[in-house]
Amino acid sequence: MKNKRFLIVVTVICLVLIVTALPFASACTPKAKPGQELKVGMMTPSTGPAAEKGAPGGHGVIDAMEYINKELGGAGGYPIKLLWRDSGYDAAKVATIVKNFMAEGCLMFTTHASAEMTAGMEIANRAEFPGMATYTSAVIYRPPQHIYGQMPDYGDDWAFFATYYMKNIWKGSGKPKMALHLLNNSTGYGARDGARALADKLGIELIWPPEEHTTTTISEMESLTRIKTKNPDVLFISSTPAPTAVILKNARDLGIYPGITIGCAHASFTKALIDLAGANVAEGVYGVFPTVSWDDNVPGIAKAAEYCKKNNPKDYGNMDYLSTWSTSLIVAEILKLAVKNAGYDVLAKGNVESWRAIETQAIQKLKDFDVGGLHGPVSYTPGDNRLDKYLRLYKISGGKINLLVDWTEAPLIKYEEFPWFGK
Amino acid sequence: MSLPCGTRDYTYDTDMAILRTKTQWGLFIGLLVFLFTLPLYLGNYWLGVANLIGITLIAATGLNILTGYCGQLSIGHAGFIAVGAYTSAILTNRLGLPFLAGLVCAGLTAGVIGLIFGIPSVRVKGFYLAITTIAAQFIIIWVINHWSALTGGFVGIKVPYASIGGFAFISEGSQFYLIMTITVLCTLLAKNLARTRVGRAFIAIRDNDLAAEVMGISLFYYKLLAFFIGCFLAGIAGSLLAHWVGFMNAEHFRLTESILYVGMIIIGGLGTTLGPILGVIFIRLLQQILTVQVGPFLESTFTALPSGFATGIAPMLFGLVIVLFLIFEPRGFAHRWTLFKAAYRLWPFSY
Repeated sequence: MKNKRFLIVVTVICLVLIVTALPFASACTPKAKPGQELKVGMMTPSTGPAAEKGAPGGHGVIDAMEYINKELGGAGGYPIKLLWRDSGYDAAKVATIVKNFMAEGCLMFTTHASAEMTAGMEIANRAEFPGMATYTSAVIYRPPQHIYGQMPDYGDDWAFFATYYMKNIWKGSGKPKMALHLLNNSTGYGARDGARALADKLGIELIWPPEEHTTTTISEMESLTRIKTKNPDVLFISSTPAPTAVILKNARDLGIYPGITIGCAHASFTKALIDLAGANVAEGVYGVFPTVSWDDNVPGIAKAAEYCKKNNPKDYGNMDYLSTWSTSLIVAEILKLAVKNAGYDVLAKGNVESWRAIETQAIQKLKDFDVGGLHGPVSYTPGDNRLDKYLRLYKISGGKINLLVDWTEAPLIKYEEFPWFGK
Repeated sequence: MSLPCGTRDYTYDTDMAILRTKTQWGLFIGLLVFLFTLPLYLGNYWLGVANLIGITLIAATGLNILTGYCGQLSIGHAGFIAVGAYTSAILTNRLGLPFLAGLVCAGLTAGVIGLIFGIPSVRVKGFYLAITTIAAQFIIIWVINHWSALTGGFVGIKVPYASIGGFAFISEGSQFYLIMTITVLCTLLAKNLARTRVGRAFIAIRDNDLAAEVMGISLFYYKLLAFFIGCFLAGIAGSLLAHWVGFMNAEHFRLTESILYVGMIIIGGLGTTLGPILGVIFIRLLQQILTVQVGPFLESTFTALPSGFATGIAPMLFGLVIVLFLIFEPRGFAHRWTLFKAAYRLWPFSY
């Protein structure tokens, strides 16, 4: 009986101590202190259904930050503290990760997959927390709010490829028939929206409705058989590497390809596609990409290659690694501009005042920033939250991705003016 | 402290009461005070986690009523949550209805959809019913993705802040109060349901549906009622999720989420009110710890390991924890808590 009472007393005392200490515990969370560091949150889907893109993307982010801190002295003289998180391509996790970034005093955040940004963008927009999506789609930044796209979106991919196709490949009369095979998320439907907005203007007849697939598809024979019956002249695929590889294989099996032209959006057009599909299967496939390839002789490739070979040699040649390497360079430039224009004291607060400074004094002051030639120049244009609007066209030949058309600006499409655009 | 053993009840009502002693009332009030003062102690991130736990708990409670009390296995719960989320999103965004109308309609719509997909439960059970509910998951998500004029399709739909009477729940703290109030009410609803004739009918069907039918319990009526109540709560959770996140698309409601919900109620303890609470808290906190702490730590520390290996350890640990738990405590946290309480009361005697 006495021991029971003793236990009760001890338990009550412990509970009181815990409750009393809680405010101090939450107040002890460190934020950027003057003269110390600039925090930035970056997430990639390094596990889960998009891991073949997310894993090298995560490595690119981490390696680039190591390079920026060690060799460039950080941003504006301050080291960058990277908070990297694996979202697992899980929307619920993304929501809490964005809140974690805000709570940790991050000045901005980035995502790799457009689906990640779709899941977290409203939380960020509501809090005025600026974000940048490496891969993006129109719904993420139209109408423009606090989320920016590092590179052209999937609608731009379609527009660029379709324009090239009409000028250089289509030799027939009348309108060519284009089929769309789309991933069932913002990756695929970004291309759809671009097609809906511009197909008529470019003189292309879309086979409607588009076919769709999941990230985990293992066969698209049925959907491609439907496409085959419509006698398309061209097929555009907006997806990730694994499903695109499946589609290419099935297209060959059905005898659709070669015979028609196949173009891919940038989410799938990486070395991983050739590895998964096989060089023979992917031969002759066109693709757009917003960055250079590893074989290009541009100033920024050297350091990317050096760190990649040192830390993650298996990622050498992977376009996702290069994309997120560029993301980190842009983030460093944004932070550098912010330190210069707003001052470290403002940034050190890590709150909405810092976030507004990051947007108005840094992101919106970007002008022709050269990412070592790794992709097009990065500039902010009022009313257009795409920071880089340039694309290149490539073709797979001999198991390699070869350049066909150099940097070309993708036109701005004001999707919100179309009644069918999601709100 | 005087515990139920040794108390004397002179009426049926006092004997059936949930809180039977002053000590229990004191602890309950203390818990509510602690819970509703959390915004004073926690930052926005942990409040966000608490909100996610609250929303998940409402849905898990619904699934526990359906699966734990009535024995109807459902692996499509995320689909019913999606119905609630989109119903609320459409009513508040497209039609401009108030949040409370969206919340109630979300529950009712999800409940009705649950009724439709619950009809096979009258003919099939166990594994076959599970397949039916998986079909529900896929069908619901397919409809959401393709009815783009209403739902925004694959792109998604924006959802405004929850608001009641002109007050908008904008801050994380205000959303916490809203979500926790509804969570507490739903938990009390589930606890009381188990003590009623309906709850006893559910348990009878779970334990032996043939014997229950022989005793005069209408299987058709009570099984469909279980689906309705379970999916109603899922719809409520979906509505809260939609207004909390602010943007909905079908990516939030994958099959893996449905399986995770089943895992939560199993780990917590099927057929108990405390089970979903403990299971949800455990799983959601484990996810956060692995994502925010363990994953980045492994990635930055074990750089000599093959590319991607360190990142993969976090989800592997997640699965390992669940497997170990199911091996060593298959009846869940609630059972372990019951054993602890019994041992505490009897200590130092083991019998």
